[in-house]
Amino acid sequence: MTLPLWALLGVMVVGMTMRAPIGFSMIAAGIAYLAVKGQDMGLAAEQVANGLYNSYVLLAVPLFILAANLMNAGTISERIFDFCRILVGRMRGGLAQVDILVSVVFSGMSGSAIADAAGPGLVTIKQMLRKPGYSPGFAGAVVVSSATIGPIVPPSIPMVIYALVSGTSVGALFLAGVVPGLLMAVVLMIAVHVIATRRNMPRDEPVPLRDYPRLIWRGALPLSLPVVLLTGIYTGAFTPTEAAAVAALHALVLAGAVYRALDWRALYTVLLESTRASAVITVIIAGAFLMSYAFTAEGVPQALAQWVDAMDLSQLQFLLMVSAVFLVLGCFLDVSVMLLVFVPMLLPSAKLLGVDLVHFGVVVVVNMMIGLVTPPFGMLLFVTNALTGIPIRDMIREGWAFLLMLTLLLLALVLFPQIVLWLPQSMGYGLK
Amino acid sequence: MLRKLRAAADAVGAALFAVLFVTFVVQVAARFAFDRPLPWSDELAVVLYVWVILWAAAVMVPAREHVVFDLAYNAAGPRVRRGMRLVGAVMIGALAAYALPGSVDYVRFMAREGTPVLGVSFMVVFAPFVLLLAAIVVRSLIDVVAALRGRRGERD
Repeated sequence: MTLPLWALLGVMVVGMTMRAPIGFSMIAAGIAYLAVKGQDMGLAAEQVANGLYNSYVLLAVPLFILAANLMNAGTISERIFDFCRILVGRMRGGLAQVDILVSVVFSGMSGSAIADAAGPGLVTIKQMLRKPGYSPGFAGAVVVSSATIGPIVPPSIPMVIYALVSGTSVGALFLAGVVPGLLMAVVLMIAVHVIATRRNMPRDEPVPLRDYPRLIWRGALPLSLPVVLLTGIYTGAFTPTEAAAVAALHALVLAGAVYRALDWRALYTVLLESTRASAVITVIIAGAFLMSYAFTAEGVPQALAQWVDAMDLSQLQFLLMVSAVFLVLGCFLDVSVMLLVFVPMLLPSAKLLGVDLVHFGVVVVVNMMIGLVTPPFGMLLFVTNALTGIPIRDMIREGWAFLLMLTLLLLALVLFPQIVLWLPQSMGYGLK
Repeated sequence: MLRKLRAAADAVGAALFAVLFVTFVVQVAARFAFDRPLPWSDELAVVLYVWVILWAAAVMVPAREHVVFDLAYNAAGPRVRRGMRLVGAVMIGALAAYALPGSVDYVRFMAREGTPVLGVSFMVVFAPFVLLLAAIVVRSLIDVVAALRGRRGERD
């Protein structure tokens, strides 16, 4: 390792340990690298400003955030909740099953796990805590686990960022997430079912038949969006970035005009929150531009690829190793750091071994979603704790079964790439 | 006074974001409804994006909203915490200050080029990066002073 690289890592580690914002630590680390190397400081400005200017696909991120915030402010979560009660409410532990289904529907419109926990997750936690039979820890555990489905079922903010760093197609990645996302819901529902039967949890009271048409109509409206989005992207009618704008417009029309649940003041608050949340993510991306400039200049990814090559790993061994390392890293690091710092380093190795980059992307993103619910650093645990006051320790105690199921599913995705690749391939991905 | 400034900064950011969103809606509408693709909308959107993000990061996002790694900090006692805040703020503030002159030069240098369609000077497009660096310096200074005086940080 060269001296400039040590300076970069040193500043990054010290900054993070001292609890400075991670994005600022990364920018400072990049500056330290340039300084020790004696390069022009204009490079820092060039890498960040030019990097943002040339990353058209990144524009989808603030727009998907806006869409999710509009849906949450516009009570769309409540409508989806009522709709899903009809479908699975009568099962044992019905409200927990409803929560998982709501997450699937919501994730078809939003690309963020945090938005899922903060929106529909909060709605179902409140309902569960009102009923006997659901402990707060269990309610929280179900919500954080099911929120991980959000960025796997398209649209997905992490997949947009992965597309940027890997050069793969956003459309193919989105399609590749559909089956794994649905499987996540299935394994979580199985876990809930087993636990609910053993603890004799209550069923939800039946919804009167005469309410069906109204609830289905109100719940089905938001469901039209994923269909429009996916069709639009695959027929080439609009780019993923435009699709994000269409999603936000759809949410705005539903919340404002159809449900009449959004006034000007609420809209302004949504705009402010979306702007801030977009900036928080993008500052880390900006820092990553600088760091990846440094890593590339130092040949780190290539060196890593040579190292992997020398170990003579099979594709499977490589993926298993990456998954294991990421599961551990996910306990301590934020998703954005893993996606923007570690993934680009591994991409040359993956290419060298002939790993399909779409498959790799889905495996990595599912892995990072598990990282969102593993202590000590699990963003979803923090958010849910902040919103509901349910102690993180209780969520962890109740959540291990869900975590186990998700990890087993991750293993299945690694072992059987066809689960991921079947849908995009049947739509023409990779058939050149 | 400070509150008013902050509200104004918020309003600017929200307005830029709103225009960004509307630009996309107009772009999609122009292509589908009127079959007349706009040549300038993508470019305007990207310029607005650079501005919204860097502006918001510089003057809108409070420290407690940034993503941090706080395991070590939370495990430390109050005296160590003060020291940690001091070290972090001095290091990041100093590095940002060090990069400031070179970045200003680069951004000014880019004045001779404009975006392809709209002809917006790249000095204008990239200027908010300088603003972000300056904001990091100022925030770090405030943090240093607060830590020296023993006041609690924004997150505590």
